[in-house]
Amino acid sequence: MTSSILVTALQYLGYILIFPGFLFCFLCGNLLIGIDRKLVARMQKRVGPPILQPFYDFFKLCGKETIIPAAASKTTFLLAPLVGLAALVVLQLFIPIRGFSAFSGTADIIVLLYLLLIPALAGILGAAASGSPYAGVGLSREMVTVIACELPLVLVLLAIAKAVGDGTGAGLCFSMGAISEYQIAHGSLICKASMIPAAIAFLMVIPGETGNHPFDAAEAETEICEGMLAEYSGAPLAVYKLTHAVKVLTLTSLFVALFLGGVGVGIPAVDALIVFALCIVVTAIFISLVHAVTARLKIEQLFKYYWTVVSGLALVSLVLAWYGL
Amino acid sequence: MITFNYICSFFLIVLGFYTIVTKYNLVKTVIGMSIMDYGVNLLIISVGYNPGGTAPIFTAGELTKASYFVDPIPQALTLTSIVIGACVTAMSMSLVIRMKESYGTLDTREIRRLRG
Amino acid sequence: MNLMNLMDYHHFPIYSIMVLFLGAFVVAACGTKPSKNLKNPAGARAWIALLATALSLFFLICLVKPVMLGGEIIAYWMGNRAIAGGYAIGIALEVDALSLFFGLLIATAVFVSCLYSIRYMVHDDCVPQYYTLYCMLAGGVLGLVLSGDIFNMFVMVEILTFAAVALTAFRTKVYGALEAAFKYLVVGCMGSTAILAGVIMLYAQYHTLNLAQLATLIPGSMNNATKLAFAFLYIGFSTKAFIVPFHPLAADAHGAAPASISVLISGVLTKSGIYGIIRITYFLFQTMGLGTMQFMLVFIGSVSMFVCVTMALAQHDFKRLLAYHSISQIGYVLAAVGLASGLGFSAGLYHAMNHTLFKGLLFLAAGAVLHETGTTDLGKLGGLSKKMPHTTVLFLVGAFSISGVPPFNGFASKWMIYQATYQRAVETGNIGFLAVTIVALITSVLTLASFVKVTQSVFFGQLPAEYENVKEVPFGMRLAMGILAALCIFTGLFPRLVTTYLTEPAANAILNVGSYIRSMGFKSELILQRADFSQAGVWEPVSWLLILCIALLAVTIVAVASKYDSVSENREKNVAAKYQLFYGGEENVFSQVGGGDLFWGFKHNWRHYFGFMHELHSGVVNDYALWAVVALALAISFMMIVL
Repeated sequence: MTSSILVTALQYLGYILIFPGFLFCFLCGNLLIGIDRKLVARMQKRVGPPILQPFYDFFKLCGKETIIPAAASKTTFLLAPLVGLAALVVLQLFIPIRGFSAFSGTADIIVLLYLLLIPALAGILGAAASGSPYAGVGLSREMVTVIACELPLVLVLLAIAKAVGDGTGAGLCFSMGAISEYQIAHGSLICKASMIPAAIAFLMVIPGETGNHPFDAAEAETEICEGMLAEYSGAPLAVYKLTHAVKVLTLTSLFVALFLGGVGVGIPAVDALIVFALCIVVTAIFISLVHAVTARLKIEQLFKYYWTVVSGLALVSLVLAWYGL
Repeated sequence: MITFNYICSFFLIVLGFYTIVTKYNLVKTVIGMSIMDYGVNLLIISVGYNPGGTAPIFTAGELTKASYFVDPIPQALTLTSIVIGACVTAMSMSLVIRMKESYGTLDTREIRRLRG
Repeated sequence: MNLMNLMDYHHFPIYSIMVLFLGAFVVAACGTKPSKNLKNPAGARAWIALLATALSLFFLICLVKPVMLGGEIIAYWMGNRAIAGGYAIGIALEVDALSLFFGLLIATAVFVSCLYSIRYMVHDDCVPQYYTLYCMLAGGVLGLVLSGDIFNMFVMVEILTFAAVALTAFRTKVYGALEAAFKYLVVGCMGSTAILAGVIMLYAQYHTLNLAQLATLIPGSMNNATKLAFAFLYIGFSTKAFIVPFHPLAADAHGAAPASISVLISGVLTKSGIYGIIRITYFLFQTMGLGTMQFMLVFIGSVSMFVCVTMALAQHDFKRLLAYHSISQIGYVLAAVGLASGLGFSAGLYHAMNHTLFKGLLFLAAGAVLHETGTTDLGKLGGLSKKMPHTTVLFLVGAFSISGVPPFNGFASKWMIYQATYQRAVETGNIGFLAVTIVALITSVLTLASFVKVTQSVFFGQLPAEYENVKEVPFGMRLAMGILAALCIFTGLFPRLVTTYLTEPAANAILNVGSYIRSMGFKSELILQRADFSQAGVWEPVSWLLILCIALLAVTIVAVASKYDSVSENREKNVAAKYQLFYGGEENVFSQVGGGDLFWGFKHNWRHYFGFMHELHSGVVNDYALWAVVALALAISFMMIVL
């Protein structure tokens, strides 16, 4: 009896710490970023860093001294990056990989929407705690980016809830597990005509949520010294860089889970590889390619873009799903 | 006959609203509130009215079908309402005095520090 | 034996009201001479008021077992004058799960705020009179929700409006306090008059003032006078709930009143308005099944939540911003309650409870800032987290709760509201309800934005030189905030407990009007029904928190192992150049990013809307009165057409 509890506990601990938790996030996230940097460099006719460069950066930063500005509120300043990273890894646990999901009974897609806010919020609070005016400008822009991305994201998720709900006969469906099962049974959601605009809108949201080009007004290095990260150095900065990497992984795998959930063979290990491969494809096209060919948008342009173009696409999808197309 | 009362009471209520909405003097606003109150009081007292009814005092000998009481409850309600109306007037006038002291004017269009 | 009779729990509702009014009387009888104790100028009066509020809370808590769990409805005839000849001639108190639910919220907020007042009001003159008004206000609100008699509801509304107006103007020196009180009085009186007119029109038709008896008589025999009465009553209670178009009064009144009173006005008075609307629409007129009526309430709720959250984004004053948010959250409550489904009621009442808790906490935090710095202007404050660390943490708990960050309580209830509205949209096929879900979700993120603004402008960023000597607030104030913060976290982590023991009994009470009528001794054909509380989604805050804690622990261990915090401790005293802020090599000068316009990227795109809204909220009392009249006219036409 006790031994079976122990085994279960160890199993869940394994989920959290190794797969699909920390170790997986750490490796795959950094790998995605490495590939992204290499691709962008190649597209710009540069040689670019080695693909493992994010790992080197991480360990190098961890060895540096952590400088805490005199104006900063120390606890918040140091705690914020950790909370953000932990919350993001927990979020990754809720995203099913073709039917396999460690904790799908814990949260549904509306909760995911809010859990996605926590890393951004942690970053904002950490930036605010640093006391720097650059960070102040950065957090203002970050918050506006979050607001901008929220509307299309909401519309996309509601459209999915309605489409899957219609398919299963429940009327509406918020559960991640049910969405994944539906796709395994009926094929990926992206094959439905009504979901195509939503998928495109979601893909457009990904660079905004992760703060990649051209939606990186919050971190604009050349303009406001990396904004929210202006005061961070050493290990906290490493954690932030890792958070960014994991966020890319989370959002791309969320896209795969929501729209390409039917792809796979049924063997968990192979499926995980397929999902990761799909993540790389999504990253390559919608983060690297977009990065290489666009210039940074001003914050008000960013906002306008998301609330008109992207939200419009998502709305089309929602209305189509509403009328059962 | 009682219909006229109802018409009058609603006329008074509307007149009160009109005064509050259109008059820019604080004292007139207070007067408008009072008029509104009187309208409601008139309405209440009219509701309890019985044509030919006597005062609602209960004595055993008088209790025949021929003699109706006027309804006593609305009268009690009116009393409550009148008292409350007096309190409203007192409170608002004291506020008006303090506002005149601190703003130096009674014009509602100039008493708008809090807006937006 | 006699004593045992007195301790029968059927007497407890009237005790809980009585102790408050008795407290008001005793405090007033103590005279107006301030005590010599500088830390508590009200002397024993403060303790009397605290005792009265504590007793009131105690009596109501004793009722939880029979009413919430046992499902009993306490019908209490004052002076034992029960029904005679089929008519209710006495005055009654009737406590069902709904009344008790609101009563508990009110008593909790009143008690905590009273605890806070003791140290908060030290700088004011006339503190002795403060507690009289305070107890009157508390007694008025409690009397309103426990009353079983519609005229008594009106009297209580007047008492609480009066006390609230007087307390709004209490700090006569404060910028705009008198003006706020006057505006509130004018429009509040229009609302009270509307309630009185509505009551009397009902009386003219049915010759009774008892709520239960009215509920038996009205539904079958609606005529134009009844509909008119409905419109008047609805508008009257809307002014008490401050929903659109009465929100500017809330902003003025909450902003100008002392923080401990803002807690009551926003956490308690608005609830009494919502309670009134629920009683009128669902008990007296029983409009549960009416689609148009549902749509009107939901529509007004969504307009309130959106308009007020955008107004809040444009504010430059801490308390005024909180006031607009308060009405925005009330919009959520109204939208959920307007759905008239079991889940909707449960979600709306849950949010009402959470609103009392987190809004109280936020206003108390704002009061703490005002108490120490003397201002609530977002543009002047900054960097207080180093001077007031406890207040900062407590404020953050409140801010996270109101913005619906998991696992705090605001999220649990908002999440239920999203489901309830979306479920209704799917059931009816009405795309309007879908829009409500979207508006609610967007409002939530805008709320977050505006609290990020407050956090950055008040607690983080750089400390202005004049606040160098600011200290943490006294323990009594922190204790009051701590109680509310603990409740915020508790109700967020255990939503199942809250819904089972508090909101679902109350929701059942709304749906079972028949038992409300029968327990008062009247006949009703309405059958008992069980509400459907099933939800489409899943959310397990405790297991989420457990996973997060494990994850956080893991990250922290790794971080500490890689000398995460390697700085020497004495850096505050002799700050080396590298510990100064990053200015690209230039000298460190004071520059705080914050204030009202923090989110220009957002506001720029909405500038026409914000400009229009700023013009509209002109601050002239005539305009607000006009809105009230127009709202009344619209409500009358709506009721005439729809009912």
